[in-house]
Amino acid sequence: MSLRKILPLLSGLILLTPLIPADNISISQIDSSSLLTSQAIKLYLSVTDSRGSPIEGLTAEMFRVFESADGLNFKEVPGIEGFKTGANIAAGINFLLLLDNSGSMYDTIGGKPTSVQKDMRITHARQATLSFVDSITNPRDSLGLASFNTNYSIHTPPGSKLAKTALLLDEIVKPTKEEAYTELYASLLLAAEQMSGIKGRRVIIVLSDGENFPYFLHTQREHKNFKERIFQHTEPIELCQKEGISVFAVNFGREKDRYLETIALETGGTVFDASNEEQLSEVYQRIRNRILTEHLLTYRATMDPADIQYVKVEYSRDNKKESVTRFYFSSTIFGLPLESLSFLLVIPFLIALVLWWLLTKLRLEKIARRPTLEVLHVEQGSPSTKLFNIRSKKTVISGSEEADLTIAGAPKMKENRATVIFDKKSKSYTVVGEREITVNNKSVKTRKLEPGDVINVGGTTIVFDDKPPR
Amino acid sequence: MSTLARRLIICCLGVLAGIAAWPVAEVILMYQRIFPSYLIFSIVLGAAFGFILGAFFGSFAGITSSVKPRIGSGAITGALVGLVGGAAGFFIGQGVLFLAGELLFSSYKSFNRIGLPVARAIGWGFLGIFVGMTEGIRAGSLKKIQVGILGGFIGGIPGGFALEYSRLLFPEIIYARLAGFIILGLLIGFFYSLVEKRLAYGVLRVLNGCFKGKEFLIAQKKLKIGKSAKNEISLADYADVADVHAVLLIKGHDLLLKPAGPKFPVLVNEDKITEHPLKYEDVIKIGSARLYYKLE
Repeated sequence: MSLRKILPLLSGLILLTPLIPADNISISQIDSSSLLTSQAIKLYLSVTDSRGSPIEGLTAEMFRVFESADGLNFKEVPGIEGFKTGANIAAGINFLLLLDNSGSMYDTIGGKPTSVQKDMRITHARQATLSFVDSITNPRDSLGLASFNTNYSIHTPPGSKLAKTALLLDEIVKPTKEEAYTELYASLLLAAEQMSGIKGRRVIIVLSDGENFPYFLHTQREHKNFKERIFQHTEPIELCQKEGISVFAVNFGREKDRYLETIALETGGTVFDASNEEQLSEVYQRIRNRILTEHLLTYRATMDPADIQYVKVEYSRDNKKESVTRFYFSSTIFGLPLESLSFLLVIPFLIALVLWWLLTKLRLEKIARRPTLEVLHVEQGSPSTKLFNIRSKKTVISGSEEADLTIAGAPKMKENRATVIFDKKSKSYTVVGEREITVNNKSVKTRKLEPGDVINVGGTTIVFDDKPPR
Repeated sequence: MSTLARRLIICCLGVLAGIAAWPVAEVILMYQRIFPSYLIFSIVLGAAFGFILGAFFGSFAGITSSVKPRIGSGAITGALVGLVGGAAGFFIGQGVLFLAGELLFSSYKSFNRIGLPVARAIGWGFLGIFVGMTEGIRAGSLKKIQVGILGGFIGGIPGGFALEYSRLLFPEIIYARLAGFIILGLLIGFFYSLVEKRLAYGVLRVLNGCFKGKEFLIAQKKLKIGKSAKNEISLADYADVADVHAVLLIKGHDLLLKPAGPKFPVLVNEDKITEHPLKYEDVIKIGSARLYYKLE
């Protein structure tokens, strides 16, 4: 084939390429439970075509895995250790139903104003929600319920038991004129934030009948919560991708938000055009099937220090590449290293060693060099001194101010006194009690003292000590 | 040495241990990426950290009893126990950190301010348990191990929080981890001494001689009293004291004192005893040493 013939064909192909719808890849869960023991990270991947249907026949060679400590500079991991299709995950799915409660939801399905309750879209949406709840068969699934118009309202927090959700549908009431706007992107973002604290499979199902219709943009008045902020459709997409939350959208009217499909597809979800309860009840089964056809990819993690490690999976098929990034927790107990090491680090080490050595030299004991009386315990009152050096022949212990060792404020000491007398001849001390005293818990009137003897006078415990015995 | 001095010394040792461990940990952390796995990295870092903390805490008994040979032997035994305990503690702490970080706090938004500090504090608590156990294992005392578990865990948690929040509040300061280590060491020491006191059966205070004023906390089921430096209550330099002269035993709610042999007289309140349940304010005579049993 000549170049002249090939060129138009190639240019045709180039022109057509953007028209070929891209596949979507999402990481629905990262399992890092084996990171410490075997350095393995398990990724649960969902790969769907442009219509949201799972793609079959995938192989490990179609994937490349990269890691990054900062989310910017990625480096490829050495190799993929395992790839399994149809990874069966026993865990349940955490659903959050996000119901449009704007003014148009009170029109008929055909978009005409009505006052007949049963013809209103909201009535169909309520019944469809109940059908959805009934269709859930896995007891491990959980369901939350939120609604939105100008404001985002949570009726049942995500992670709740199923029965509770159905009952709380009655909380959704017709909005006032001020509340009738459609803050679709803001509400999706808030719903994703609420789901981000929940572990496991997370799915937001948004039931809406129209476009994003922000309050501030159309009234030029400040929104009570969002002020002048106009939310972009990319905001819920970014958060959902980061957290691995899939958005499934259900169109409930003739109008459709132009980015709703993008939001759904880029988060690994899909869009359903459901106008009745039967169609909505099929949604659950389709989501469930999606999860059962997920792929399990296992790789060996890098050791780059990071509190959270970003992981990027690149998927290529038919010369087209798609990638998705998420993160897992990789912080170590002592955290991140310093930016650089300095020899000055040796200084605190040496200081600690020197101080420790000094501590070992410390002697806190007081060896008696002369006879002393040490007040150990006072039942009442306070002593004139804690440690009394015996210098005279007679040392009086009493409550009186004239005593050598005064125990002030102790009534029992007023009636009692003890005297320690030094005998020059035997070079010994004797304690003499005016009334009964104890020495070493034995009642005595008089007693020759030895170092370490414990005298108790009127509830005051005193230790006699002399030069250390050898 | 009074109970307060004893408490101050163990707190000082904790602070010094934290300071000494910091540069070692920084060097290992700097080379994290050359380790083949988190498993090896955790074991090496934990072993080094435990080795240093164990050595410092292991010298505590020797310092407080003023028996020099016990300082060295205690430091060596403590270091070896700390090496194993630190490796195990770091491994378990890291496992808990991964689990807490991944399971409980998967939200990206609140991750830095709440999730990471809480997860890290829990991890540090487990690390503290193993470091705190060092002295108990060294002394072969179940009671002291219990004390170490409680003290280490209570001390480890604020240490982990301190590290994380000082890093969040002062991201430019490189000493955040040093502050965390100091707080960890200090609090392990402080809570160890606090719990030790709470679980102790009282104090034996030496009333005379070269150890006058020294207080021995009764915090393990069996304590030997005598001249030898190996005894928990060492009365070296006292006359008429045998190498192992008497034994203190905790039996039920009683603290029993008995001579280690028939040739070693022990007097309680002047009376010679064969086995005696101690009461507070009892005065014990062992050789020329006098001891006073008190609550605190």
